[in-house]
Amino acid sequence: MPLEQDVFWYKRAIIYQAHVRTFHDSNGDGVGDFPGLDQKLDYLQELGIDTIWLMPFFPSPLRDDGYDIADYYSVHSSYGTLEDFKRFLDSAHKREIRVIIEMVLNHTSDQHPWFQQSRSSQENPLRDWYVWSNTDTRYPEAGINFLDTELSNWAWDPVSKSYYWHRFFSHQPDLNYDNPAVREEMWTVMKFWLEMGVDGFRLDAVPFLVERDGTNCENLPETHAILKEFRRKLDEQFPGKMLLAEANQWPADLRPYFADGNEFHMAFHFPLMPRMFMGVKLEDRKPITEILQQTPEIPPSCQWCVFLRNHDELTLEMVTDVERDYMNDSYAQDKTMRLNRGIRRRLAPLLDNDRRRIELMNGMLMSLPGTPIIYYGDEIGMGDNINLGDRNGVRTPMQWSGGWNGGFSAAEPEKLYAPLIQDPVYGYAAVNVFSHKKTQHSLLNWMGRLIAVRKTTRAFGSGTIEFLYPANHRILAYVRQLGDEKILVVNNLSNAAQAVELDLRRYKGNILIEMFGKNIFPRVGEAPYLLTLGPYNFWWFRLRRV
Amino acid sequence: MAEESFLTDDFLGQLISVGEVDILVGVPTHNNAKTIRSIVETIQAGIVAFFPRERAAIINADGGSRDGTPELVVRAVIGDARPGSKLYALRTLPSISTQYASSPANGTALRTILAAAELLRTKACAVISPESTHLTADWLAALLRPVYTETFDLVLPTYRRHRFDGILLTNLIYPMTRALYGLKIREPYALQFAFSGRLGNQFLAQNPWHEETARAGSEIQFTLAAIAGEHRISQSFLGTKDRVERHSADLVPAMRQTVGALFSSMEPNFSLWHTKTSSQPIPTTGTEAEFTLEPLRINRKRLREMFSTGVAELEPVFQSILSPSTLAELQRIARLEEVRFHYPADLWAKTVYEFATAYHKAVISRDHIIQALAPLFRGRALTFLMENRNGSADDVENNIEGLCLEFERMKPYLIEIWNGRE
Repeated sequence: MPLEQDVFWYKRAIIYQAHVRTFHDSNGDGVGDFPGLDQKLDYLQELGIDTIWLMPFFPSPLRDDGYDIADYYSVHSSYGTLEDFKRFLDSAHKREIRVIIEMVLNHTSDQHPWFQQSRSSQENPLRDWYVWSNTDTRYPEAGINFLDTELSNWAWDPVSKSYYWHRFFSHQPDLNYDNPAVREEMWTVMKFWLEMGVDGFRLDAVPFLVERDGTNCENLPETHAILKEFRRKLDEQFPGKMLLAEANQWPADLRPYFADGNEFHMAFHFPLMPRMFMGVKLEDRKPITEILQQTPEIPPSCQWCVFLRNHDELTLEMVTDVERDYMNDSYAQDKTMRLNRGIRRRLAPLLDNDRRRIELMNGMLMSLPGTPIIYYGDEIGMGDNINLGDRNGVRTPMQWSGGWNGGFSAAEPEKLYAPLIQDPVYGYAAVNVFSHKKTQHSLLNWMGRLIAVRKTTRAFGSGTIEFLYPANHRILAYVRQLGDEKILVVNNLSNAAQAVELDLRRYKGNILIEMFGKNIFPRVGEAPYLLTLGPYNFWWFRLRRV
Repeated sequence: MAEESFLTDDFLGQLISVGEVDILVGVPTHNNAKTIRSIVETIQAGIVAFFPRERAAIINADGGSRDGTPELVVRAVIGDARPGSKLYALRTLPSISTQYASSPANGTALRTILAAAELLRTKACAVISPESTHLTADWLAALLRPVYTETFDLVLPTYRRHRFDGILLTNLIYPMTRALYGLKIREPYALQFAFSGRLGNQFLAQNPWHEETARAGSEIQFTLAAIAGEHRISQSFLGTKDRVERHSADLVPAMRQTVGALFSSMEPNFSLWHTKTSSQPIPTTGTEAEFTLEPLRINRKRLREMFSTGVAELEPVFQSILSPSTLAELQRIARLEEVRFHYPADLWAKTVYEFATAYHKAVISRDHIIQALAPLFRGRALTFLMENRNGSADDVENNIEGLCLEFERMKPYLIEIWNGRE
């Protein structure tokens, strides 16, 4: 189906999250760029992904890795030019790969000309584009997001001698969405990129757009009204384009962001991710089934985004205190691995580089409800560098080969924006795309097969889910169904082999066809269906009547 | 011929589903529908509160309840246990149930729990009585922690009891076990205890599990096996012990379960106990014992009558069990007026030792020997009641300690008659 005709593409997509800076450097300056990313599109196409989500690439002082935007209408000079971006976009579309870009609505950099003007005088026309106050005591109910670095959501501006509001770093002043001019300008920004051809936006930090006294300034009705207005304009002017919400909230609080299918198309399911890690560590399905039971129904046109890791810390905000302690003790015994309320580590090190657990986690990612996102490098099991500050340890250069700078850049190693991973286990000499491609059973090739098998059915992207609750609680089993198509998924969360009896009587008469090897398993009858699974093993079966 | 299957296929299936656990709590039941729900919920709360990260399960071994007890165990869901509670279970906490027989048998229930613990590779297992109305979540920690975190193999309870509760324990089981095996174990016959997988597996493998032990006495045999195996034993103070109303007809079955098992243990463990000349304290968390002093109405006249009648009617039996001097002394005190009645500690210790030796030598049916001890125990109980009727808690404790020392002092006499006199 041509890209422009498939309006529900995001429900079936497999998203690859990449950062231009980290992916490939084409000009040898030590920083990844759009021509470099363009050169690697064949790799991504071969992997089987069909959507790229790019982290911010706009001009920025880069004090928050680009989430501090200083110009919404251009490309950071380190990454290339607007023309380079357009060429990359066209190349991606030619390969039927869509591109989602980041749109940081809530705040700008303090270096943005809008803020510079706003702070310059009380009378400046842009003064009201940001949230100013004579005191730092307003909105006391609002929490601080970056607990490790910020003491308050207010920062004193010595230039205009007043306080400005910031929900994130103090160098990221919040825009004032009560000002219609701000709303209009941000739509103009979005329109600029949509007209160029981008396929959607990941809208950053959306719960925080509006502030009101007596509230925690999150998820306010006024914020939803603004987002709905953006959506209305998007549907009218750019049908088939998509909005993805970044709102780190409990599922019930996230539900309003889908509204009646007229606000966001997609939203991240933040609470699921830590519970997948928890389930595997505890060898118990409870955390996973519990959170999915609490997940409300969403409109048919909407979709969850699910992920294992991303560019941020493994966030533990949406867990209980007991769960957070358990996660920290289990996955971040070294306290330097902890940041804010999370764990700043990549997938492979989190799972002790255990191939079986990495496969199981990816298997669940690809089979649970939602559109899966693969974080760059996790497809080859890249490691992290916790000695780099903030979240930079999980944003190191992509490891393409065992050669010079891991094939990332021709620059002198000292010029790289960040050092490559070099340790004996995860270093680029051991873990790289080139060597994975040469090995038939490498993680990269296995990921490619996993994606290919997922794509053989639409049930994973759009189907319903029905959990089977076998007595063996180490087994997470569910049936995904779309129309007549039924997929049985059975995951062994345990480190030991397990036997499980599944009640499949409602599927009596079906045979099971294992989806990877296509082997036939016995027909389902009245008796409990006995399966055995090796440690961290999982099965995907197509149920078929013959 | 195929080996006999002890566990049912259904129960095995349930165990397969539970899988390996760190903590197992076994609850033997028989028609306990009135109390079982709150018992299981308290166990769940204890596990969640004190062992939140451990893999745990609750196993009910039921002896043929007809009041829906097993169903209540399986249905007790952690979420229902404490509405509004801040306790949160990280893991699934399975509760499973099996009916091992159509009539209750403590030994078979324990065997079922031990077999499950072995199959699930349990590190620490607790057994909780379904009648423990004073059970709190803290009890789970008190029993299981020393096993799970401090490498003890057996944790026995100590309680706050009424001074006249458990007289068979305070006047026979405790002093004799202590004198024999040299350890000050207050509750050798416990209905609540915890043990390591190591001890459980050993007991399961070594115990013959014949019909007799299946019915009774397995708890004290378990303690004795731990002593004999020189396993690490500790005690934990749990709190108030439930006071169970007993009828006089209950005494002989209770003595079969406890005294019979204690006497039985002496023969195979002779090499262990005959060398012990004193007793040592064992590690104890909390106090060793506490007594409450509420007034209690006692039918002294009836106790004395039962003693005197027994001494008179069972004289031919006693002649084959007791030494002439002991029998003569018993006959003398049987004739005393009620107010002057006194069955002294040394005579009581001597009596018990002679009964134990008679049991060892099987001079008559062993069951008859145990039955014959019952009226004499009633006489000793009467003396204990009289001696302590106005005593403080310390007085009661001192009285028991005195009796224990008497048992220890008389032990050479036991060894002498055990090996010597026919």
